[in-house]
Amino acid sequence: MNTPGALAGLTIIEIAERVSGEYTAKLLADLGAEVIKVERPGGAPTRGMGPFRNGESALFAYLNTNKKSVVLDLDKAEDRAVLDRLLLRAHALIDDHAEDWCTRRRLSQCTVAEAFPGLVHTVVTPFGQGAPADMQICRPINVINAGGWAYHSPSETPPDKPPLKGAGRFLSDYEAGIDAALCTLASLLRLRRTGEGQFVDVSEVEVQLNRIDCVLDRMLAGDADPSNERTAYDMGGPGTSFACADGHVFLFMTTRHHWKALCELMGSPAWTSEFREDWLEFDCTPPNVARFRENFEGWIALQEKLPITEAAQKAGVAMVPVNTAADLPRHEQFIHREFFQTASHPAFGEVAYPGACYRMSATPVLVRSPAPALGADQEETVHAAS
Amino acid sequence: MPHPDRQFIDRGGPLKGVRVIELTKVWAGPYAGKMLAHLGAEVIKIESMSNLDEMRAYGGVDINSAPYFLSINQEILSVQVNMKTAEGLDLVKKMIAEADILIDNIRPGAMERSGLDYESLKALKPDLIQCSIKMWGNDGPLGYQTGYAPCFAALSGLTALVGHESETPKGMNIRYGDSTAGACAALACVAALHHRESTGEGQFIDLSAVETMTSLVGDSLFAWSVTGEVPESDGNFHPEMCPHGAYPVQDDGWTSIAVANDGEWQALCAVLKAPALASDARFATPDDRLANRLALDAELAALTRSHDAATLAEKLRIAGVPAFKSMSSIDLCTDGFLWSREAYRMVTDHHAGTRPIIGPSWRMSPDQAEVERGAPLLGEHNAYVYHELLGLQDEEMDDLIARKVID
Repeated sequence: MNTPGALAGLTIIEIAERVSGEYTAKLLADLGAEVIKVERPGGAPTRGMGPFRNGESALFAYLNTNKKSVVLDLDKAEDRAVLDRLLLRAHALIDDHAEDWCTRRRLSQCTVAEAFPGLVHTVVTPFGQGAPADMQICRPINVINAGGWAYHSPSETPPDKPPLKGAGRFLSDYEAGIDAALCTLASLLRLRRTGEGQFVDVSEVEVQLNRIDCVLDRMLAGDADPSNERTAYDMGGPGTSFACADGHVFLFMTTRHHWKALCELMGSPAWTSEFREDWLEFDCTPPNVARFRENFEGWIALQEKLPITEAAQKAGVAMVPVNTAADLPRHEQFIHREFFQTASHPAFGEVAYPGACYRMSATPVLVRSPAPALGADQEETVHAAS
Repeated sequence: MPHPDRQFIDRGGPLKGVRVIELTKVWAGPYAGKMLAHLGAEVIKIESMSNLDEMRAYGGVDINSAPYFLSINQEILSVQVNMKTAEGLDLVKKMIAEADILIDNIRPGAMERSGLDYESLKALKPDLIQCSIKMWGNDGPLGYQTGYAPCFAALSGLTALVGHESETPKGMNIRYGDSTAGACAALACVAALHHRESTGEGQFIDLSAVETMTSLVGDSLFAWSVTGEVPESDGNFHPEMCPHGAYPVQDDGWTSIAVANDGEWQALCAVLKAPALASDARFATPDDRLANRLALDAELAALTRSHDAATLAEKLRIAGVPAFKSMSSIDLCTDGFLWSREAYRMVTDHHAGTRPIIGPSWRMSPDQAEVERGAPLLGEHNAYVYHELLGLQDEEMDDLIARKVID
């Protein structure tokens, strides 16, 4: 617990009130920055979002590990002045409000840059700065539809089924938080070297475009045809999820080696001889994919996901279990890597926090403190700033 | 004046002065390099004729104009080194000694076999930051395994949460996953630069692509630990908003709508000119709407079907109801707003002159890094790296080429 965080010594003020900004600041806090979360009287909106236990929001507890909390009413001059004092000793400000909100509170790009030339000011919004005000009211499900991932998820969705919001409620927020945290850190490095601040404008929709660069850019450049097809991002081929005896597995196959290995794994049932051995490479037509799946479904339905996927890996078949939330904490690899960190939360007791996907040898990411009580650090922080 | 390919090019940006070496292939690793390059870092990709990034081969065209490769590797420098020779490996180590960050996503064990493990490299460059991207990370009982993005999404817990209600969870689009792992690698590298800046110490970053996907469903997993309820794929269900989903419109299109309170609900009914719905007792309060959400979704679908997706969504937003058209690939490619904001922009290209690319998701002011050069030809920056970085003379370089060490 005494290992330093990578960002030790950096102070960041968070005035975000949506998950994208809160997650940006969580990434930085978990990496060791001092993050002071400014909450409105009554508390951040995510304190009111479920699920709840003992009256506390699990969502809030997840998004605000390692942060401090102060309560300020930014509509009141006196509290707004306290924010200015906090910003004077801070290195970065994280926000995710629309421009009109920022302007009304003297927190626009220009106002902040003028008052705090040595501050990194990051604002993450659905469409980025300059977007029409009506577009910035979009919620995560609108943002993931605006960015194209919903329309194309899952793969092979037929035209009469709705596009999906992604995993959980906030996938586009988390994706945007990664870019916003990356840019903030890059800009903070520049601050260390030049003493100069910077304004960073991150668009949640553009993060989604960037993540599909090698598919969408080929369409932009005329190498592939853009279309209204729901399958425009797909790869073709038989890869998909299948129901098995005790859950689901995901199978991915592209080569004759994959096919040969799968046939052996299944004990080479008669129907497999109807396929050319190189069908995945040269005869991977929709009817063949459909025929394969029809036969494979019957076999895989009788298998159990862990033994069969373990055998598959050994045989060279890229078939894996579709793990659930309950599977992961008892999964040997997750246990070995200590991905989940057990820590105490005042309302929940001992709980397992999902950690970071990067293990850093000198500066491990840790839950050093649970999400703060509302205004827990008011006295210390506001006093230090005045 | 030095030859242009021998010059350091100052593109500005927050990572100006940071040098990255990448031993990366396909998508996750190159994407990490791209993110850092788009922030102003000098990113040098090590390649060779006998060990190409597969993306240079996709599409069956020549290795310098493969669309997949061109779509990712803007502002990357390319140097040829044949790492299968001892001399080539030595040259790679010399390059690493001049760098701040080394990123790889090659097969588990391959770096170690080449003597490019962190402990060995630390002897050459004590404050090196090395980031290794692997499906399962660099160790552990399954650390030897390799896989594809949809497999790590399935393993991660993410796929289980994506699917139409009561159907097999199909997960996100099959392309999802690689680029996000690359973005997280870039983030960890820059965090490590801060630690080095404060302490002088480098470090090894062990990034798991599976865990990247897991971290994107962190709140769902944490909620399970807190409440004991296992989350499942749930279509477009939201426990606190209703309606919340994508609704059918003209031409097989869809518009997403998210309603959080009674005011938004009434505004939605007004835009749809549905007074009967507005006063329907089944949908009077948020709890009523959630309890009767399947009936509500059916009623709404009947009303939205005759509308144009974008027009309806705009009307709704102006009335205060969050809504947006579900964008297809052709919608995205032709969207005037995205083009005007420079979400897409042009870079130079060795073949066609210019090529549109997907620009970074960020703008910075002042001092945004320039992103103007398209993906490199194989070995395009040999002269810069060998002459300027390693200090080789022309004759030495010619000799290395003749002996296929530079290949």
